[in-house]
Amino acid sequence: MQRRNLMKALALAAGMAAAAGTTAAFAQTALRVFSGGANQRPDLMRKLFDQYQAANPGVKIEIETGGATSELQRQYLSTVLNAKDSAIDIYMIDIVNPAQYFGAGWLEPLNAYVGNPADAMKPYLPVYLQSNVVDGKVAAMPGFADAMFMYYRKDLLDKYKIAEPKTWDELAAASKKIQAGEGNPNLQGLSIQGAPIEGAVCTFLLPYWSQGKEFNDASGKLTLDKAAAVKGLNQWLAMVDSGVIKRNVAEVKTPDTVNEFKAGQVVFAINWGFAWDRFQVDNDSTVKGKVGVMPLPAMAGGKSATCVGGWQWAVSAFSKNKAEAAKLVKFMSTPAASKFLAVEGSLLPVYQSVYTDPDVVKAVPWFKDASNVVIAGKSRPLSKDYGQVSDVVRTTTSAVLARTKKPDDGVGEIQSRLARVMR
Amino acid sequence: MAGASLIERLRDPSETALGVLLLAPAFLLLALIVVYPIGTLIFNSFFDLRLSGGSGMKFVGLENYLLVLEDADFWNATWNTVLITLITVPGALVAGLGLALLANLPFRRQWPVRLALLLPWALPLAFAGLIFAWFFHTEYGVVNDVVRRLGFGSEPTMWLLRPGWAFAAICLTIVWKTSSFMALILLAGLQMIPRSLYEAAQVDGATRWQQFWQITIPMLMPSIIVALIFRTITALQTFDIPYTMTKGGPGNATETLAMLIHKTTIDYLDVGYGSTLAVFMFVLSLAVTTVYLRRIGRQA
Repeated sequence: MQRRNLMKALALAAGMAAAAGTTAAFAQTALRVFSGGANQRPDLMRKLFDQYQAANPGVKIEIETGGATSELQRQYLSTVLNAKDSAIDIYMIDIVNPAQYFGAGWLEPLNAYVGNPADAMKPYLPVYLQSNVVDGKVAAMPGFADAMFMYYRKDLLDKYKIAEPKTWDELAAASKKIQAGEGNPNLQGLSIQGAPIEGAVCTFLLPYWSQGKEFNDASGKLTLDKAAAVKGLNQWLAMVDSGVIKRNVAEVKTPDTVNEFKAGQVVFAINWGFAWDRFQVDNDSTVKGKVGVMPLPAMAGGKSATCVGGWQWAVSAFSKNKAEAAKLVKFMSTPAASKFLAVEGSLLPVYQSVYTDPDVVKAVPWFKDASNVVIAGKSRPLSKDYGQVSDVVRTTTSAVLARTKKPDDGVGEIQSRLARVMR
Repeated sequence: MAGASLIERLRDPSETALGVLLLAPAFLLLALIVVYPIGTLIFNSFFDLRLSGGSGMKFVGLENYLLVLEDADFWNATWNTVLITLITVPGALVAGLGLALLANLPFRRQWPVRLALLLPWALPLAFAGLIFAWFFHTEYGVVNDVVRRLGFGSEPTMWLLRPGWAFAAICLTIVWKTSSFMALILLAGLQMIPRSLYEAAQVDGATRWQQFWQITIPMLMPSIIVALIFRTITALQTFDIPYTMTKGGPGNATETLAMLIHKTTIDYLDVGYGSTLAVFMFVLSLAVTTVYLRRIGRQA
């Protein structure tokens, strides 16, 4: 009897020891994170991961990087996720991708970890409720933001005593006045991207949105207002005709705008957030200290809107450590992380409040002007076939700006092609 | 017993068995890198297979094929591809023949000529496309600079933004890029023509022009055919130069079949439809090759 009890006790002890052993093994969780390309600053992400590891000794984080552009990353990730690969637990994805990835069943809904979408997204910039919530589920958490900004030559506007234009027509008039006054035939009024690159999607959307119109509804269905889209494209073409935008605008890529503005050949320029540092820091910039940032103009009677970019953190539906992965994603999406990325890397914060944080304002003073722009930011079309949507919009926009297609025909083509994809 | 006989047979194979054994490695390699991918391609072309949706594979029979036939983009790309082939293959042949004749002249130093012939050929296609895209750039391009210095046109031409000019610029680039390959093959052919033929013709009082048409061209024909086959097949697959120069633009005015396949498969992630398009391109290449091979057969 006694002996039997002793055996039982021993067995129990061994069992407990074994259980303890397993817990210890479980506590050492390895998380693999796809952290984008060099522009997404994996070096800074690594520092944040190190902080997290220090606070959570049971977690070990490995980084995987790849793909210089959003398109290349999408090609790679679509292949990996299509194969239901469980090797990567967390993905950093472009703002245009949550709809596609979630729709395909590749992302773990995060509601169980972050709460209901409306509350979870409340502290962030308004755009994320639109871009990161799919079918009532939180598909991804904001990492850092980006947006199209209207940069302008403060010195020239001051010289001609012109206030920041509020509408596109005012901007055209201001440009004409400055161009005439300066008498420099190479001085462009406004530089936008018309080459068939991702930026041309925004070139199409900016004047369209600024009439208060939407490209798609919450379910991703195309709601293109043809008349408004034609009007938007005609606005650009009118500026080309009046010499505000240069004639070969359909050749202009993102770096062209940056370089020409740096060379002092542009009064107003639309570009991503990274351009600010190029204007103010680069040695070959002739416009240091002469640059301002303002909200994008609207169509008469409409309201200002801009294209938001930036990167999100999402948990793979095929991850074997979803709970741990979700915890890390929450950490990467905290105000502290956002502030760290703003101060260390000038990456735009995803929280409205971080833009006015004293440390951030000290490190990146222009962010206090940037916040007004980003708050008015909108997400590009949400679709599981974003690759196709983007291609159709940018190719057609570029052809219209090259005047090989009439705005009416171009918009008709966008409508008929995308009606099949976005329904 | 059976094992012993197998070893026995391996050690002393019959003529047929030896033939099969020796061909086997080459056959296996071909099966792996040619037959298997083409088989997979044809298999996929019967499915609705999109990597973007995560909806898996769905058998759709010939639906993709019917869609291709109705697809205006497909016909546009096919027309562009055929047009590029029809323009650049003869173009490269004429330019290449001229270069080969030049290089065949008795220069004291041969190597600078040969090197000049080799360099464009050695340059990667994408680089050639990027370089020429700069040449034709509206503001920064050397072409418009020359035109302006010569005093033509107050407004610079937007070469790559006008469908006709963009097409011409692409064809010119392809001819420049590929004529050196033509020239290399033709130069080899030229050097095999015996001097004595020309000497005999001279004795008979034939002019240079007559010598060219009566001796050079007929003797060069086998080389010309070989060069044409290679050039035509690569012309049907034209991708790099238009992709880097115009990305198919303006609109899709310069989009080739290979670019449409790339876009559908890699950008749109529509593997099923992309495979069907590729099958059409495969058939087109096969048809052209067959015509050429028949011709060679007749000549031999």
